[in-house]
Amino acid sequence: MSKTFHLEIIATDRVFYSGDCEHLVITAIDGLIGIMYGHEPLVTSLPTGELKYMTDGQWHYAAISEGFIQVMPESSIILADSCELPEEIDIKRAEEARIRAEEKLKQKQSIMEYYHTQTALNRAMNRLKISQKHFK
Amino acid sequence: MANIREIRERIASIQQILKITNAMYLISSSKLKKARKSLDDTTPYFEKLQSTIESILEHTPHTRQFYFDKRQGISDDKRKKGYIVITADKGLCGSYNHNILRYTEQKLSEAKYIDNCYLFVMGHVGRMYFQNRMKRDKMAYVDGEFLYTTQNPTLYRAREIAELVLEKFEKKELDEVYLIYTQMINSSQFEPKTVQLLPFSRRHLGKSPDGTMKKLPKASFVPSPEEVMAYLIPNFAKGIIYGAMVEAFCCEQQARMTAMDSATKSAKDIIKELSLLYNRARQASITQEITEVCGGAESINN
Repeated sequence: MSKTFHLEIIATDRVFYSGDCEHLVITAIDGLIGIMYGHEPLVTSLPTGELKYMTDGQWHYAAISEGFIQVMPESSIILADSCELPEEIDIKRAEEARIRAEEKLKQKQSIMEYYHTQTALNRAMNRLKISQKHFK
Repeated sequence: MANIREIRERIASIQQILKITNAMYLISSSKLKKARKSLDDTTPYFEKLQSTIESILEHTPHTRQFYFDKRQGISDDKRKKGYIVITADKGLCGSYNHNILRYTEQKLSEAKYIDNCYLFVMGHVGRMYFQNRMKRDKMAYVDGEFLYTTQNPTLYRAREIAELVLEKFEKKELDEVYLIYTQMINSSQFEPKTVQLLPFSRRHLGKSPDGTMKKLPKASFVPSPEEVMAYLIPNFAKGIIYGAMVEAFCCEQQARMTAMDSATKSAKDIIKELSLLYNRARQASITQEITEVCGGAESINN
């Protein structure tokens, strides 16, 4: 077993995970970043995407939407708008959100609303993708 | 001696009011439970957000980032100040609204040139109050299109509000942005509070309760400090607004519950007093009738 570091994943509505972690893989703005014990101090923002972390040799997956991470050699903190396990995702709700967002995108509105809808669509697609990938 | 019928009517009307206040008490206590839970759920995020941002800033090389720009070139009388004020949607919650409105008034009077103050009021009560005031003496512009309710705060609403003020800040329609909301000290004590949102300064962040964050020489930013900050600060603003909304909503429910509870209690007290009076009046009239009957019988016998 490799050395562990302390990982905290905090969403706006709950503390998603707090404990030891061997390996963490996040999607940053410009690609995947893997983090293990003793990583150099790092700060980066996280777009809507996937996250996985290893505890006791087991990978755990989660859908995360918009946040940032602060990495220190012995601990890491992720703060995000929301974070969900694949089995927690309400597929129906995400599907509805996707349809709604796509519908709105079709009837082009103001630029601002366009961005809003695009991010909403991103979130919905991400949820669907992760729940389909890991929860079957 | 008061009329018996009068007293009876008063008792009946107070009983009606009692029913209403009691129902409102029950509603707000169940809403409070929900609000409390969401407050408890958000608190870790809210606190960690502040402490993390603070520790990140400590390791940030000095950036020429837009949101840090204090715009010192603009003199004090020309600075446009924006205030986001969180009030309740309804009245009947004790001094909750009164306190926050009075506090805002005080803040406005501290500002040198009130014409440069812009108010973004959440909640119906505050909006009505400031709009009337604006009509009356034309002070402090209230954004009429800023229509947000304070009921059941959502992240979505916080995001919209944050985007709105950030956009105004970027367009230089605002030079400073403050957030005024009610803070919960403990379950029976609230206090209005101001937080400066923009321009972002390193000092205004409150001390976090857990100062265990380790100091590190220098963190690297991926891809660059400017880009991370450009993303981080809107996110931070949104988080702060959301936290404030949740806390204010919880305070509102708590205030309403307390107010309605004491209203119910005093209604009960009045009913008690009135029923005593009523019984006395009833007894007096019975006694009177008896004496009259007795007197009548006596006069026939004689």
